[in-house]
Amino acid sequence: MPEVADETTVADGITDTVTAIVVREIGAVDGPDVDLSTLDGVDSVKVLRVVATVERIYDIELEDEEVFAFHTIGDVVDAVRSALADREAAP
Amino acid sequence: MTADWPEGEPVQVPWRVLADYRCFGCSPHNDTGLRLTFRRTGDGISCRLTFDRAFESYPGVVHGGIVSTVCDEIMGNLLVLRTGLSVCTTTLRTRYVAPVLVGREYLCVARTQVRAADPSPYRAQAEVLLRNGTTAVTAVGQYLPMTTQQARSRMDLTDTESALVERELARISNHRKGEPGA
Repeated sequence: MPEVADETTVADGITDTVTAIVVREIGAVDGPDVDLSTLDGVDSVKVLRVVATVERIYDIELEDEEVFAFHTIGDVVDAVRSALADREAAP
Repeated sequence: MTADWPEGEPVQVPWRVLADYRCFGCSPHNDTGLRLTFRRTGDGISCRLTFDRAFESYPGVVHGGIVSTVCDEIMGNLLVLRTGLSVCTTTLRTRYVAPVLVGREYLCVARTQVRAADPSPYRAQAEVLLRNGTTAVTAVGQYLPMTTQQARSRMDLTDTESALVERELARISNHRKGEPGA
């Protein structure tokens, strides 16, 4: 692994981590662009468990407005990347 | 699945040196309080929770404000034990993932990366877990440390009580200095 991960590597790492959390809390998902709400048994509690775990692992706080707009793993990954970028940019 | 709850040795909060302290969260002398007791758990502390109907919101559901108070209480005490300084809450953010139910047993775990020399505000995380290991509530808090003088001006303490607390916090601070990563 490179000493300083480039943006793609970081994004891939986040995607892998978020996917693993989703698989644990919701079940297997066929790719980052699948609409999670179309899967059997998915409800807001399961999505919140994913969000709570993601927040804990990355030590970030996601806004409810974006949390309740999540449809795909990709949406979660984008939110994590944005939150991490905001934290890096903070004084 | 039933998860084992890793709990270490009991942890005493510094306020115990005051014979009549009434903290709603952790005092054994407050009849209407939560009477939380803490144990070391990993690099943090934990407390077991079982609420009766006195803390009910909707029927059978524990009031969210009470659960939030538990998270605040455990994070604040963890930071006091970690830094040897009194702290006050400046921000508390709670995420309710699933309802906490009356009569059910839960574990609340708090952790922080803060060390005594770190700049404030201090930040800590807490999580309320069901017996099967799933998350019911998560919380993040930010706290400001208080100097002895600030604590003295903000609390209703006699000179004797203030000296007792100060001595206990100093003992905690000195104890921490001997630990790895302090």
